[in-house]
Amino acid sequence: MARYAMLIDLAACVGCAACAAACVLENEAPPGHNRLWIRQRELGAFPDVTVEYRPEQCLHCEHPPCVPVCPTGASHQTEDGLVLVRAERCIACAACIAACPYDARFMNPAGYVDKCTFCEHRVARGEDPACVETCPTGCRVFGDLDDPESPLHAWLTEAKRVDVLRPEMGTAPKLLYLNTPSKRGLANHESEVES
Amino acid sequence: MTTFYGLPGAEAFWHWTTLVHFLLVALAGGTAFYTAVLGIRRSESARGLAWLALAFIVLDLFMLWAESPARFRFSHVWLFLSFEPASAIWWGAWGLATSALMLLLLALGLGPARFWAGVLALSSAVVLAYPGYALAANAARPLWDHLLLAFFPASGLLLALAVLVWLRPAEEAAPWLQVAALASLALAALYPVALASGGADARLAFALWLRGWGWFLLGGLLLFLAAFLARRVPALAGVCALAGAFVLRSWIVEQGQHSLFVHGF
Repeated sequence: MARYAMLIDLAACVGCAACAAACVLENEAPPGHNRLWIRQRELGAFPDVTVEYRPEQCLHCEHPPCVPVCPTGASHQTEDGLVLVRAERCIACAACIAACPYDARFMNPAGYVDKCTFCEHRVARGEDPACVETCPTGCRVFGDLDDPESPLHAWLTEAKRVDVLRPEMGTAPKLLYLNTPSKRGLANHESEVES
Repeated sequence: MTTFYGLPGAEAFWHWTTLVHFLLVALAGGTAFYTAVLGIRRSESARGLAWLALAFIVLDLFMLWAESPARFRFSHVWLFLSFEPASAIWWGAWGLATSALMLLLLALGLGPARFWAGVLALSSAVVLAYPGYALAANAARPLWDHLLLAFFPASGLLLALAVLVWLRPAEEAAPWLQVAALASLALAALYPVALASGGADARLAFALWLRGWGWFLLGGLLLFLAAFLARRVPALAGVCALAGAFVLRSWIVEQGQHSLFVHGF
């Protein structure tokens, strides 16, 4: 079985949002909702100012808090480590939305909880997720952490630093950020960041 | 400054209908628990009260169905076709279903009433407890502290007793009301302390609580009045208990769901 993960090199991300647009087109996200969005933060103080563009989506955690709270098993983790929702089982109780520390889930107007799937339909065909394929700067890479031939390992080895969102939550995300512009990584508050 | 292209799923996911559900499920669980105690004591009045508890359950289930975005997909059947013991809502579904069955048997006078009452005591305790469990399980929402595991059952029982004190002879329910009001008041007083001494988000959680301290003062005052008046003017104590517990529970549910990640992180 694979252990799918995604890396995003923030030093290469220019915040063009092509990934977000590709996601909407690929997955037909309902108007007003996003499976993937870009957070833009101005960090530091003049004259040492930097801007961080951080794409965010479901992190497909190793220990997803959204799965055990689901009362019907609709929210589940596949053998490949993807965290998915079986729409036909979802009762729209929103327990998983409450449990997600990353605001990655939303209520689809069709009556079920929706989120990023790492484009599992494309992955099943041997393709990359739409956001990875679309990125014009090539700041994203997708692959199997258990595969020694995967480009993930080269990226991780060459990265100056590797961060995950909210590590204190203990969720072990499988979307990792490389080379954050801030020396302190993905700090919780802008005031904590040194440029 | 933080801005977004596209938006994370940070809007409120529960609405006023959910607050009504949290009220109705407390009335259902508390009334069913009181009925169970009367049934175990072989009180004749248990049969009549069973109909009231059953009515609260039916009303609550109708409310849940009506407010659900999945109401016409009928996916709720999966609650009973799945085994998900880590989920509070799964327990709640089975607690409500079992309580409804036991109440019906008690109300109709079928079978061993005392045994049904014993089962009802357990299932109604689950109904009282699961809302607090459903909230406290979320480490991502710092206002939903583990203290809610105790506060929601206590205040849920108080809500039911606040109604029962009007319907039952006052001398029966009033002492219970006083104890439940004092327990809820003590837990409400401990709540900000628990928030401030909590985990990684403790400072943020306490700051959020400070924004609503007025509601807590109001709720706490009403609970104090309920305890003070319980044996003197039970009907008025019931009004105070109902209002106080509803204010506190609703504030915690409503404010606790708002995302911190979208603003701070």
